[in-house]
Amino acid sequence: MSRRTGRTLLSLLAVVVALVWVFPVYWMVNSSFVSNAVLQQFTPRFFPGEYFTFANFQSAIADGSFFGALGMSVSITLIVVAVCLGFAFLGAVAISRFRFRGRTSFVLALLLIQMLPAEGLFIAQYKMMSSVGLLNSILGVSIIYVAAVIPFTVWMLRGFVAGVPAELEEAAMVDGLSRFQAFMRITFPLLAPGLVASGVYAFLQAWNEFTVAVVLLPAESAQTLPLWLRGFVQASATRETDWGAVMAASTIVAVPVIIFFLIVQGRMTSGLVGGAVKG
Amino acid sequence: MSATSNGARIAPRRTGVPYLLIVPAILALLLGLGYPLVWQFITAFQEYGLAQQFGKAPDWVGFANFGALVSDGEFWAVLVRSLLFCVVTAFATVLVGVLLALLMNAIGRAARLTLQISLLLAWATPVAAATTIFIWLFDRRRGVVNYLLDLLPGVDMNRYDWLGHPLTFFFVASILIVWMSVPFVAFAVYAGLTQVSEEVLEAAQLDGAGGWQRYRLIIGPMIRPVLSIVLLLQLIWDLRVFAQITLLKDAGSKSGDFDLLGTYIYKLGASANDFGMASAVSIVVLIITLAISWVYVRDLLAQDKETR
Amino acid sequence: MKRKIGAVAAATAALVVLAGCSTTPEAPADDAQGQDITLWLMGGDTPDALRDYLKTEYADATGGTLTIEEQDWGDALAKLTTALPDADNTPDVTEIGNTWSPTFTNVGAFSDISDMYEDLGGDKLLPSFVEVGEVDGANYALPYYFGSRYVFYRKDLYAAAGVDVPTTLPQLTEVASKLHDSALSGFYLGGEDWRNGISWIFAYGGDLATKDGDTWSSTLSDPKSIEGLTALQELYTEASNAPVTESDSTPWVNINTQPDADAPEAATIIAPGWAHWSIGDLAPDPEDDTKTIPTWNDDVFGTYVLPGVDGGVAPVFAGGSNIAISAASKNQAGARELMTIIFSPEYQQMLGENGLGPANEDYVSSLGDDQFANALIESALSSKLTPAAPGWAAVEGSGLLEEFFGKVNGGGDITALAAEYDEKIDALING
Repeated sequence: MSRRTGRTLLSLLAVVVALVWVFPVYWMVNSSFVSNAVLQQFTPRFFPGEYFTFANFQSAIADGSFFGALGMSVSITLIVVAVCLGFAFLGAVAISRFRFRGRTSFVLALLLIQMLPAEGLFIAQYKMMSSVGLLNSILGVSIIYVAAVIPFTVWMLRGFVAGVPAELEEAAMVDGLSRFQAFMRITFPLLAPGLVASGVYAFLQAWNEFTVAVVLLPAESAQTLPLWLRGFVQASATRETDWGAVMAASTIVAVPVIIFFLIVQGRMTSGLVGGAVKG
Repeated sequence: MSATSNGARIAPRRTGVPYLLIVPAILALLLGLGYPLVWQFITAFQEYGLAQQFGKAPDWVGFANFGALVSDGEFWAVLVRSLLFCVVTAFATVLVGVLLALLMNAIGRAARLTLQISLLLAWATPVAAATTIFIWLFDRRRGVVNYLLDLLPGVDMNRYDWLGHPLTFFFVASILIVWMSVPFVAFAVYAGLTQVSEEVLEAAQLDGAGGWQRYRLIIGPMIRPVLSIVLLLQLIWDLRVFAQITLLKDAGSKSGDFDLLGTYIYKLGASANDFGMASAVSIVVLIITLAISWVYVRDLLAQDKETR
Repeated sequence: MKRKIGAVAAATAALVVLAGCSTTPEAPADDAQGQDITLWLMGGDTPDALRDYLKTEYADATGGTLTIEEQDWGDALAKLTTALPDADNTPDVTEIGNTWSPTFTNVGAFSDISDMYEDLGGDKLLPSFVEVGEVDGANYALPYYFGSRYVFYRKDLYAAAGVDVPTTLPQLTEVASKLHDSALSGFYLGGEDWRNGISWIFAYGGDLATKDGDTWSSTLSDPKSIEGLTALQELYTEASNAPVTESDSTPWVNINTQPDADAPEAATIIAPGWAHWSIGDLAPDPEDDTKTIPTWNDDVFGTYVLPGVDGGVAPVFAGGSNIAISAASKNQAGARELMTIIFSPEYQQMLGENGLGPANEDYVSSLGDDQFANALIESALSSKLTPAAPGWAAVEGSGLLEEFFGKVNGGGDITALAAEYDEKIDALING
């Protein structure tokens, strides 16, 4: 077998894997465009074809609560991503560019927090937020999320900062730049991919979370998208699950993330290089 | 002072700068986690149920919650189940991730881009949506999985209830988590592979190293750091998996045979109103996780000392 | 989603007619004026028209705003646990699953409303629901609505198999086994469907738990309970293809006539009364051809109440909800005003017209007198509630009952299982 045919076979394999991997997403979108009546027929349809309809999307957003939830989710996610990136970046610089007393404890604490199950904390989280009047608020949930997401982002960014050789900065300092200037001109631009990768992580965490949200956002008007989707599925299940509408609802919850991913895609793939390897 | 890692060598010996830099992160952690963690630690040593939640003063019970836990068969069953689930899922994720990364590294641009976009779409699918999709894929009556399997000659999967038996339930959960987590692993490892320079590989080839040897001697060591951290993270995350199991249980059984540690803790607290026990289990889980990852933590500490 | 419709004693003879019992609501206390209050409703059982009525009436009576928040049954326990003790965020009035009432009542989550009891209906209110909301003779939670479960069957399949509607519980198993084959469930009953499964325990004279002094203990191992469970297991084995994981969610999808002529998968099901809106011949909706709607067809579908062991009516699970004022609420006066509106003749009448069993038996007639209303009332008459034990919400929340019935469904040894689960339930039932 020549190298060329080997490569062709591998390429074929890759395409097959790609198709298998994307199938669940495809199936979601496919199901969202046909009515539940069609979905309930025994033979599944692999293309909407003549049964194509937007009705599922209409019924998913009909009562308007989707847009409120979208607003909540977007606001919370943006706050969490911005705050985490800022704070984690500073923390990462500290532990990868400086030696100081307590550094090891800090790194260890970050690791430990990752390991702590959060499912038993909801009473305390509720009491805390209620006592300062932050229930049903974007700020309250954001505070909890930031604390949950920061450890890993510091960790991830630490690898990226360490991946930029300090010699580059030293050289710049020899050329007369201050330490801060050297860092901002030389190191910071090289960190962009790392920031993107960490941002993606923070984005997914904040966008997906629902355990904390259930308790801290009890008001219907303060739902986030995962709560909205779960409520939609449960409401649908009291009759016969309307899979068309449920898949449409899932699709519109996924679309904002997919758009975000496609925007940062190029940066992200290269971004994962530095951080992961130097971990 | 070793010059190996962390680029720490240009740091001045004494400075307040690093403390200033970590202050925001520490404040954020204290703000969001401080009170809940202290509360959890205290509650683990109390009898704290619904009556306490409604104002009755909690009684200190020492290690009674932990004692009750150790003698509770269900806890051990959940623990063993969770460990098995976590190890199988995490290793499967890393294995598939590495294979896909090697595949990406070996193919042309067009095929690679196709694969990457496909993985990206899976990665971008929110947990709640992904779990809902899988419930629909594996639906007993109209799921496409049963339909396709049923087409195979001699296989009767019509109406097979995947979520009805613990083994198949966790199989579905595992596939779902592998599906969602592999993209992260594949991209991270692929990124590591692209750093292995062509020259090194060519030089090795000239020296007579075959395909397998190239992987074992050159690529393996270079991606090992990525592998170990990715595996550790997967283990930590898969041990405390919560959202996927909760949503799958919504669609399937309410029975405790389908609980993992995350849902077990939540059930103890939110449903059985025994917050003392829920807190005790959380602390035990923390200790177990620490034990699992001890090798890694030790390496980290050793490496850290070196740089001092 | 757990709908606990079912009920009790809708028409249990009112033994005591209180002379001079005033049903005229008191004039609202001055301090209810302008109070803005929040009402939590569980799930979507209360129709929009009723919600609007409450809001309008409350605004008229007090000038304040009533906000209604709907909570999912699935998250309700966690939310009630956190919010009820919290004066700043508690709902002022909340609906609560009737089976959870003892738990929250016992820890002091609700205000004592004994003084309003007579005005809100007194002895006319469903006794068993009143009882679960009572501590030491004081009333905390009162009935909101009840529902009940009865049997739906396919006349065409019964006729084809040459079987008649059974009149005793053993006969039911016999009939269902005759109808049964691998493609058709003679009686479709989900394995984890404990809310229906307990009817068999009740029918054979058993109970879920009994109270001795101050201590509750689980009685699955009682010989009568065992007898009922054995009969239930026989039905599961002989007559049901339903998966073990199915609870009381949507059994009717299996009995409906499918538009594409797929054979129905069940000849008999048991479901809450309101399910009749979802049962029938499925056909495309004339207004929206992407949807199918069921039309009840008297030639194909029929109803009967679950028969007792020796005939008569078997006690089914009394589903439904209670309603109570949060003890932590800062708006007690407004909350009491809302209770007055809920227990007013007009609102009770509206509940019945919407298929929800009204709390006050005087208005049960508003359910109508078609076969559905009759089956609902007949089954409700002999329905039974889960134990009024302080820890019952924890027992339910832990999924122990689903687990137990699932294992009975799976063909496990009943005596051993009953002993095992008695022990597990005993650990939680006293709170």
